[in-house]
Amino acid sequence: MSARKSQKEATRQRVLDAARELFESDGYEATTVREIAKRALVSVGSVFTTFSSKGDILSQVMADRLDALYAELDRVVPHLRGSTPDRLRSIFAIHYAFETRRTRLFLAHIAAAYNWTLSPTSRPYGRTPRLKQVIRDCIAEGVTRGDVGPNINLDLVVDALLASYAWTYRLAAWEDADAETMSAVMDRHIGLLADGFRPAPA
Amino acid sequence: MKHVSGNIEVAGEAEVRVPTRRALAKQQTRAKVLSAARRLFSESGYEGATIRDIAAEAGMSTGAVFANFADKSDLFREIMVADMESLVEAMRDGVSRGRGVDDTLLKLFMAGYAFYKSRLPLARAAFSISWQPDQGAELRDLQPVQMIQDLFTEQLTLGVERGELSQEAEAKLRSQMLFDCYLSNFNEAIFGGWSLEALQAKAKDQIRVILAGARRG
Repeated sequence: MSARKSQKEATRQRVLDAARELFESDGYEATTVREIAKRALVSVGSVFTTFSSKGDILSQVMADRLDALYAELDRVVPHLRGSTPDRLRSIFAIHYAFETRRTRLFLAHIAAAYNWTLSPTSRPYGRTPRLKQVIRDCIAEGVTRGDVGPNINLDLVVDALLASYAWTYRLAAWEDADAETMSAVMDRHIGLLADGFRPAPA
Repeated sequence: MKHVSGNIEVAGEAEVRVPTRRALAKQQTRAKVLSAARRLFSESGYEGATIRDIAAEAGMSTGAVFANFADKSDLFREIMVADMESLVEAMRDGVSRGRGVDDTLLKLFMAGYAFYKSRLPLARAAFSISWQPDQGAELRDLQPVQMIQDLFTEQLTLGVERGELSQEAEAKLRSQMLFDCYLSNFNEAIFGGWSLEALQAKAKDQIRVILAGARRG
């Protein structure tokens, strides 16, 4: 890495750290890019050479946070027991519990994902490749164990589960729902889908 | 005597229905502001369009805009309501042409995607706002928004009544899942540039997968 490139990377990390602290203490709306720059000890201009907007910074902060979630999942998933629907329920419940530690920030991040000012590289809301992979592996294992029918269309089922997972968060935005409430809704959605992918009775 | 008082009431109503010149001017101003706002929200998103920009686009002062609308979110809500009302109409039209529960649901999905095909920036702004805890709750409570969700549930309930789906189909919950897919596919349209044909193929598969469990006895 050239000196210039590594300096840019260091600036980027400083900005992200400062932004995370400010977002968590003051909230997303109340935090300005100028405050982020001040705390990171960089100029406002150099913030904007790395990020296109405040929403863009938030998007990156939220993506980085997920490392902790997936470290947790990597520990837990091998120990999951029970039916495939129950394992799926546990995986989604862990996600809801994780994101509701910072509900307002998470909702601000979803809203920002539709915002105009986002850079083209940022990912649309609901696309979480790692979650997709975990869910896919879990169902594929179910096929091997025999509690999921062999004719399942994996892509479609995974996609429907992710849509439910992502949009159930609107209960948090609209009704102030907690992780438990959203997990309960998701549990029932998983049950309905599972009725369709259980192996046919012999 | 009843007869007489009835006549007076009718005369009174007729008078109210004829708008005064001032009321007409106000209506025209509102319409002008709304169409300017619609253009700017479509071009620069919700955040990017200020009341000042909207006033300039409409060729009037910011004061004149504020005389008609409380704030920017008030303006956006009006546009949303008008769109949602048209969308409900388009969806009802689709439902009337549907054959069987799968096809009718597909027509609901497609009415939405076809409606927003030429208005994707507005859809994007609406999603952004609907996720904000304060403003989102206001949008959720709009009557046409409720009606759209109810249309999905109604189709499943009818499917159960017609015997296409089992009694244990859980129409309400299952239609929520369909609605989640309906909304989530907007991402493909907004960010992936998907065609209506591609959206239709995906929606068709989603409907099949979600209804599968309601078909078994």
